[in-house]
Amino acid sequence: MKLWSRIRSTLHNLFQKQQVETQLDDELRSYADMVTDEKIAAGIPVPEARRTTLVELGGLEQVRQKVREGRAGAGWERLGQDVRYAIRQLRRNPGFTITVVLTLSLSIGANTAIFSIVNALMLKNLPYSHPERMGTIYTRITGTHSSDERHKINGEQWELLRDNVPSLLSAIAGSRTSGINLQSDSHAQYLHAGRISQHYLDVLAVRPLLGRNFSAAEDLINGPKTVILSYNLWRNTFNSNPNIVGQSILLKSDPYTVIGVLPQGVTTPLNADLYTAIQGSRKGEGAGTNFQVITRLRDGATWQQADAEINHAWSLRPHPYQLEDNPGGHVTFYSMPLQKGETDTLLPQALTLMLAAISILLIACANLAGLTLVRILRRTPEIATRLALGASRWQIQRQLWVENLLLAILGGIAGVATGFIALRGLLLLLPENYLPVADVHLDGRVLAFTLLLSLLTSILFGMLPVLVTRRFDLRSALASRAVGGADHLRLRQVLIIGEVALTVVLLAASGLLIRTLIHLQTLPPGFNPNGVMTARASLDDVRYHDPAAFQKMLQQSVAAMQQIPGVQHAAAGLSLPYERSMIMGGLPISDGKEAGQKVMTDETYVTPGYFETLEIPVLSGRTFTDADGPDTEQVAIVNQTFVRKFFHGENPVGRHLNKIRIVGVVQDVPMAPGIDPDAPLMGEQLVYIPASQVPPSLLAMVHVWFQPSWIVRTSGPVEGLTAQMQRALASADPNTPFSGFYSMRDLLAKTLATQRVEVALLSTMAALALLLSAIGIFALVANIVAQKTREIGIRIALGSSIRQAMTHIGSSGATATAFGIVLGLLLSAAALRAMQSVLYGINVYDAPSLLTAVAVLTAIALIATTIPTLRIARIDPAKTLREE
Amino acid sequence: MSSKQTNLLQGTLDLLILKALGPMELHGLGISRRIEQITHGTFLVKPGSLFPALHRMEEAGWLSSFWGDSENNRRAKFYRLTKAGKKQLDVETEEWTRVALAMANALKAT
Repeated sequence: MKLWSRIRSTLHNLFQKQQVETQLDDELRSYADMVTDEKIAAGIPVPEARRTTLVELGGLEQVRQKVREGRAGAGWERLGQDVRYAIRQLRRNPGFTITVVLTLSLSIGANTAIFSIVNALMLKNLPYSHPERMGTIYTRITGTHSSDERHKINGEQWELLRDNVPSLLSAIAGSRTSGINLQSDSHAQYLHAGRISQHYLDVLAVRPLLGRNFSAAEDLINGPKTVILSYNLWRNTFNSNPNIVGQSILLKSDPYTVIGVLPQGVTTPLNADLYTAIQGSRKGEGAGTNFQVITRLRDGATWQQADAEINHAWSLRPHPYQLEDNPGGHVTFYSMPLQKGETDTLLPQALTLMLAAISILLIACANLAGLTLVRILRRTPEIATRLALGASRWQIQRQLWVENLLLAILGGIAGVATGFIALRGLLLLLPENYLPVADVHLDGRVLAFTLLLSLLTSILFGMLPVLVTRRFDLRSALASRAVGGADHLRLRQVLIIGEVALTVVLLAASGLLIRTLIHLQTLPPGFNPNGVMTARASLDDVRYHDPAAFQKMLQQSVAAMQQIPGVQHAAAGLSLPYERSMIMGGLPISDGKEAGQKVMTDETYVTPGYFETLEIPVLSGRTFTDADGPDTEQVAIVNQTFVRKFFHGENPVGRHLNKIRIVGVVQDVPMAPGIDPDAPLMGEQLVYIPASQVPPSLLAMVHVWFQPSWIVRTSGPVEGLTAQMQRALASADPNTPFSGFYSMRDLLAKTLATQRVEVALLSTMAALALLLSAIGIFALVANIVAQKTREIGIRIALGSSIRQAMTHIGSSGATATAFGIVLGLLLSAAALRAMQSVLYGINVYDAPSLLTAVAVLTAIALIATTIPTLRIARIDPAKTLREE
Repeated sequence: MSSKQTNLLQGTLDLLILKALGPMELHGLGISRRIEQITHGTFLVKPGSLFPALHRMEEAGWLSSFWGDSENNRRAKFYRLTKAGKKQLDVETEEWTRVALAMANALKAT
């Protein structure tokens, strides 16, 4: 009741101000009139009566003011006044306002964009019901080589997990989608297929829009062939056919029955076009650790129970984890929230970027603090006058805070817009499916973060000027027109030192990443990447489970490509340089002094002419020829690293690996390593076998995991090369489309996508920091020039040269920069060590990177210092002296 | 007389205004005079205190106001107690009596 009356009064006072004021006026006047009447009635002469009444009243305006102050909503009204005044002030100084808002929009925008990604990766829940009950399994190994990460599991572990861990609903998937062909009446389509176990969609709590999930029978080896479509595939390829469930479609040249369609907007961690049952077992694929686990905690169970059950179940294995290189190591398994499991590897990068973004914000704040400080000092006369007229210090400070807040809010709004654009740009930069989330939005949390950031900035950059006004000496402020004492200059120099130091760190960090990228991109390729075109196709097809059909298809298609005019060489291979390849473990060396040693190595099959096409030098022995067929002696070629690691550098030609004769040694090519990844690109041990000798047992499996590439080398650009390659492939198999065409440079870029994105982002932020620092130094020096025009005039009049005057003034900027650089180098020494894990081929204390950072900063700082001092040359001593 | 007015306790003015109005309808000057009368001239309320208090109390819902003619046919703004105002008068009277008694006892104590 009382609150309501207060709100009503507030609204009434605020919105019917005119009426309220008139009534107050009338009331007071009638009061005065009545008092005057009384006095006249008492015999006092009329003018005397009027005068004394007003004196007793204590001034009509004062009474009015007191009533106003006591009114409901008076605080709001004062705030409104302050805001209006602030807006007037800001409009009167458009240069200042625009500088501040631009600075804020850039720095807040950078933070908004980066935070959106951090938010999407780490803070936002996975888009499934009860995401907190979803997990995955980590393996913690202690001992000589300790590790703690998400591991894939094998078929034995899968069966134990599925059958002996009642606390969890568990499911597995192939670790990546595989490429498969969908044939329809007119054409074949290359699609991404996810292979998932029976309860995969149940773990995600996804109900199909049409149909159902996989049944137990469908998830058994040789179970019925069924498929679940994604919404988009159903809509685009099957025209949203409502009767699709139960129909048969031709996948991998085999009929598959559609049993379900996923709802619109629903995705899985695999983000595939369609899903087939993985039919995981201990055999085939399940003989190795190839399955990615996801789990959902069942109602009433706890994670502790689940972990105990997992460890117990997996301890039942007759052949548990072999820690060959880690004797005495202890292995435990435990559940980890799925969110963390999916984003763990991206976390350091995201946090680094967030730190960089916050540095930008701090630099911006330092700049703005300097700017607002100057502005306050310039307003000294105005503030002194207001203080002299009776304004309280709190009123003045409130006014300043309101101005800062207003600026921060304007900057925040501009920042959200900038952030939105920056985020779109950033997402375009990222490779497809790079982030394990469907989309990154500017959601409520991001907006709240930005708002908070804006408030924080306004406090950070507003604090300094407000502190300065607290020490305001009224008398000296009124007396002297000169503003800005030596201590304020020193304060601003400290701000510059801080921002220059942060800029050094950012520049050095981005320098290190750039050098890393250059190192990786200019690794000696070990082959000739120029003039090579590659194309990928899926051979995950029931027809190519037959080795003869597979070989015939390869021979015909490669031969047809060889016929394309301008093509010098053509070949095919399971994986190419710069790419990941299949890993084979437990292959024994058959003879010589290393006999019996088991090796783990990358393996790929290639057609004859592969080494010639890529121009990979043969160091010893021979390459494959058409004579190496399915019925001739099994042969292999190994690379340099293989020789170094397993044959101690001795020529292995003639020796046997897993009873296969080694016939040649070739130079290393950079590849995306899978066994011991020290860097995103490196030489790893690799065995080549002829495509014609791929064991039939392996043929079906490798093509589930990998899609082979066809490569051609041309002497120059060939008109319509890709179309001719597609025709050549079609001449061997009209139902197999290429999924895409890539130059070797494209493949390199794809593998180094993470590094490129890191470089792009951090460099952008370093450039932003540099720009802000330059603006800060420029503003400092320009301001000193403006303030000291008179002093400079006197100096020049007394015989100082312009050059000397420029040096004298510019030295404040130069000194601050120099100190900033030294501080920055010290900071770098501490901070950059954290980057060790993302640097390859260079040291953290990389002299060229640090020197370049210092040189760039020095150059920019010199320019920023010099430009404003050029005005000194235009100072006319006579004129400035006369001005006083 | 006016020196005593400066001793007006915080909150006393509200109570005096409520009491002065009682069942009557008075304008600003009337309230001022009435307070002077019922306190036998001890408290003399100046417009600088009176009007802010009146407006505040009206916003609090204790008083309502209307425009009318004064005894000398001047247009004036009259105030009267609302229901809430009457209740407030009771509350504050009780409160004040308690405080006054306590103060008197405290001062009597040796």
